[in-house]
Amino acid sequence: MNKILPFFLLLILLTGFSSEENQFIARQGHVSFFSYASMENIEAQNNQVLSILDLRNKKIAVSMLMRAFVFKKDLMYEHFNESYIESDIYPKATFEGNILDFESSLEKQTKIVRGNLTIHGNTKEIDIKTTIEKINGTYLLSGEYNVFVKDFDIKIPPILSSNIAKMITIKFRFQYQSYEE
Amino acid sequence: MKNKKIYPLFVVLFFLTNSSLIAQSLLDKLDSEFPDKPVYEIATFKMTRIGLGHSIETRKKGALEISLYNRYWNIPNFGGERFLADKVSTRYGLEYAFLDNFTVGFGYTNFDKISDGYLKYRLLKQQKGSKKTPISITLLQTISNRKTTNTGLYGKETSTNNNAFTSQVLIARKFNPDLSIQITPTFIYNTATATNDDPNTQFAIGFGGRHKIGGHASVVSEYYYVANPLKSIDTYNAFMVGVNWELSHLLLQFHITNARNYAEDTFITKTTHNFNFKDPNLHFGFNATFVLHTKKKKLK
Repeated sequence: MNKILPFFLLLILLTGFSSEENQFIARQGHVSFFSYASMENIEAQNNQVLSILDLRNKKIAVSMLMRAFVFKKDLMYEHFNESYIESDIYPKATFEGNILDFESSLEKQTKIVRGNLTIHGNTKEIDIKTTIEKINGTYLLSGEYNVFVKDFDIKIPPILSSNIAKMITIKFRFQYQSYEE
Repeated sequence: MKNKKIYPLFVVLFFLTNSSLIAQSLLDKLDSEFPDKPVYEIATFKMTRIGLGHSIETRKKGALEISLYNRYWNIPNFGGERFLADKVSTRYGLEYAFLDNFTVGFGYTNFDKISDGYLKYRLLKQQKGSKKTPISITLLQTISNRKTTNTGLYGKETSTNNNAFTSQVLIARKFNPDLSIQITPTFIYNTATATNDDPNTQFAIGFGGRHKIGGHASVVSEYYYVANPLKSIDTYNAFMVGVNWELSHLLLQFHITNARNYAEDTFITKTTHNFNFKDPNLHFGFNATFVLHTKKKKLK
């Protein structure tokens, strides 16, 4: 019995770690969005986006704080958080999905990532065309995606409809490193 | 024997640890990765004024506010006909944020001929998250100058300058995304008084609130209680109820009030009308503020 116990403990620990070894994390992912409207262009950046890439299950997850977006004008930041995205109630935007037809041998590939995007408490299933690059054993994911404001129940008053575009372009770039606790 | 009982236990333990790792989704894993940063409450009030008086808010560095405050009222039993309202008082204001926490402002009101200036400093910001601060505190110091010109017996003009100083400690809390409440202890010093009976120093306390009714609009109200009112004239406590509406760079305020003046010392201590809907007690206020960002943040 006394000989078997350490063996089992080792086994439990090993299985615990095995799921980590194919995981990569990006702690300073870039997400930016653009609104091109007749009144003015609005641009915002978030350089603190978190993402996990799990190559064993070909899964990817992204999470970001809405309050971490930086705008050119402070009033835009206040309106974005207070009036549109309501970051007090919905502090995060998340994405969780699967990389379709991922091939681990390729250096550079463009694949579809299918998953659920949650913004402003509304979830929508989307397909994102993503470029996956393998550089020295780590990964770089980048791409662009367009969302419609009305899909996520974000209200724009009619009087301000010329200030904000109906379709927002989102760009992302995640540089991963191997996951360590 | 003993070993036979312990084997299944280990197998169960083995599966449990494995399954718990699968059950923990990638998103849950990311939640624990967010850095522990202070989260300051934003937009306790959206505007730097609730309506009559100041709110705890200051604009961020480089913001220039150009403001036009109007108050309209009617004269009772007025013989003539005037468009919209019989009387109007306008304050022209300029405010500039030198720092995120420090604003300087100037204004001139054409009706009571009062020039006013103020310094405003944000002392404490309400914080949520790991480190909690329950309230926000802003300090306000104003000076107002009223120049009165009298024509003497032989046509000689003499002018007197009356200065008044108002110090306020603005204390506010955003209770939830919709509701913010502010309490404002106020100290007012007048260099000159109408009669000897009138106090030079006066104490007041203000109560203000904001309730959000939509993404861009909120209902606001304000009341100032004066502890030692003037004795030479009948004064009433100032009250205001209204709507604040934000349209990108333009901030609009509509309200009804009994206060006619804009400078803190005058509307708090020298409001000579009670709040009701009879002329000339009912004042309709319309404030328009345009925010100009002279310094823009650079995005990488």
